[in-house]
Amino acid sequence: MSEAAALPGEHPVHGADEHLAHHFSSLERQVDASRLGMWLFLCTEVLLFAGLFVGYSVYRYSFPAAFAASSRASEIWAGTLNTAVLITSSLTVALAIHFVCAGRQRAAVVCLAITLFFAVAFLGIKAIEYTAHFHEHQLPGRYYRFEEVRLPGAEMYWALYFLMTGLHALHVLVGMTVLSVIAWRTAHGYYSPHYYVGIELAGLYWHLVDLIWIFLFPLLYLI
Amino acid sequence: MAENGEHHSARPYFFVWVLLIALTATTWATGRMHLGTWALPLALAIAIAKSLLVILFFMHLWEQKGVNRIVIGTSFVFVALIISLTVADVATRFPLATPAGAPFGTDIPAQLEEPAPEIQPPAGPIGKPPRGVPEPK
Repeated sequence: MSEAAALPGEHPVHGADEHLAHHFSSLERQVDASRLGMWLFLCTEVLLFAGLFVGYSVYRYSFPAAFAASSRASEIWAGTLNTAVLITSSLTVALAIHFVCAGRQRAAVVCLAITLFFAVAFLGIKAIEYTAHFHEHQLPGRYYRFEEVRLPGAEMYWALYFLMTGLHALHVLVGMTVLSVIAWRTAHGYYSPHYYVGIELAGLYWHLVDLIWIFLFPLLYLI
Repeated sequence: MAENGEHHSARPYFFVWVLLIALTATTWATGRMHLGTWALPLALAIAIAKSLLVILFFMHLWEQKGVNRIVIGTSFVFVALIISLTVADVATRFPLATPAGAPFGTDIPAQLEEPAPEIQPPAGPIGKPPRGVPEPK
């Protein structure tokens, strides 16, 4: 929410607020510092994935035919469905923060629970996909034995596919852990309309996971 | 609503969600058409539009302090730089910069083993100078 919504900035909260760390002069500054720290962390996450996107770009440039054929041989239905699942889970996280701001903790917990359900659904669909790839021998390197696409560079597509979706799935797992803790805290009344930066930062992380997938989906499944 | 009155209704979130789903359907449909040259730019344009919607509205960058915008904007600038410069490097390799066994430009080592037709000496009777070279007096 906006910086003004985060706390009652107009009246001093010194000593009065259990959330205020002693090295911050006000809760407003503390919340701003937390937000900046989270954005910096997201920046490093973006650059972590950027390394894989660079690898993808180079190999796609070198083997355009193999990459086009391999992405068409992927499970497009699963990728599209997972995109919708993650976008909807982003919506429920945004709604959870909205409800905490509005003082409706119970609705916020329900939204976080729905988000966790969508996260499990995402990983389930991903598991079905991985199983199909293993059965078809759409695997990296010398394990690649997929008969329908026999082009040089196809095994490189699958190496990048498993690296990129695997690292993304790892982020989904981390996001689920963070959101579970946040949901538990919300249910126990830890957050209020005056202090909800924790749930906000967890939401930022989850939106980043969604953001990465928004780019992975067209690159790995569509083109 | 929050008692400080800063927060509004949840309706914009649903609006953004509908837009995101519509853009996903668009990118899926255009992906199935196999548009050739335009497939990649179009898919990337849709992905950038979707990511902007998520960043500005779900992640509230629209209403946050400028410093957070600078941080995430800088990271995207560096992603663009690292991808474009690396691909530009690989795309502009030429034979002298690509020795045999180089990981990229795999067609080059083949040329080194077997000279391309234009650098082969022109076929002609032995003892005669190649075409284009004046006869010695």
